[in-house]
Amino acid sequence: MELLRVSRDAYGREVLQGLSWDLIYVFFAAGVALIVLHALYRYFVAKR
Amino acid sequence: MCPKVFRHALADRVFHWLAAACVVTLLGTAFLPILGLKFDWVMLHWVAGLLLIAAVLFHLVRALAWQDWRTMMIYGADFREAVAIVRGTLRGGAGEVPKLGKYSFAQKLIHLCFTLVVLASAVTGALMLAHVETPWWRPNPYLLRDATWGFVYVVHDLAALTLITMVMTHVYFALRPEKLIFTRAMLRGWITRAEYEEHHDPKRWQVER
Repeated sequence: MELLRVSRDAYGREVLQGLSWDLIYVFFAAGVALIVLHALYRYFVAKR
Repeated sequence: MCPKVFRHALADRVFHWLAAACVVTLLGTAFLPILGLKFDWVMLHWVAGLLLIAAVLFHLVRALAWQDWRTMMIYGADFREAVAIVRGTLRGGAGEVPKLGKYSFAQKLIHLCFTLVVLASAVTGALMLAHVETPWWRPNPYLLRDATWGFVYVVHDLAALTLITMVMTHVYFALRPEKLIFTRAMLRGWITRAEYEEHHDPKRWQVER
């Protein structure tokens, strides 16, 4: 998985265009993981 | 004695929900076209960005000049609260958690995170407005060098991606049953006197009786 998006300018040099859009799924998955972990913690541990 | 305890002024609630609407619009117009939903997103994106910048400036001035900004600072008591929660977690949910000030450690922490991430996206987004044509200015892509633009894009993208995770968790916690009193307070401005006495330490959050 690429971390960065790059293109080439008129002289063929690499130009940074930003972060890779593949990372959308990583950050979305991180949100889901935090929510699921907390919900499981509250359900199985904190309610005791 | 008043049965309700005043928590958020109308101006702060309007700011919160306006900022929320702007952030959701910005995330939608940024990422939905990338995920395959094609629509004319550019104007919606920069208009929502300008609105968010105006809202943040309003909040910044109001918090610094008219409000007690120290209520949102993280102090030793907040770290003790965090340690008590972690200790309770490690002991399987047992143990006493100290009563809160006006805001919990977690609320102060998410506010700090939103401050940093929204400011980063607003500053870089304001620079990126140089790329778009608006009724007020012409595009000027030569405002910065290519390498500097690259840095601006990376910071803007990182802030936007971080906002995905932060908005998801913020909404999750806002909808949890035990946190609904704070969500109601952000909608209606108050909590009940009983909720105040149950959750808050009157030494850390003094309210009118």
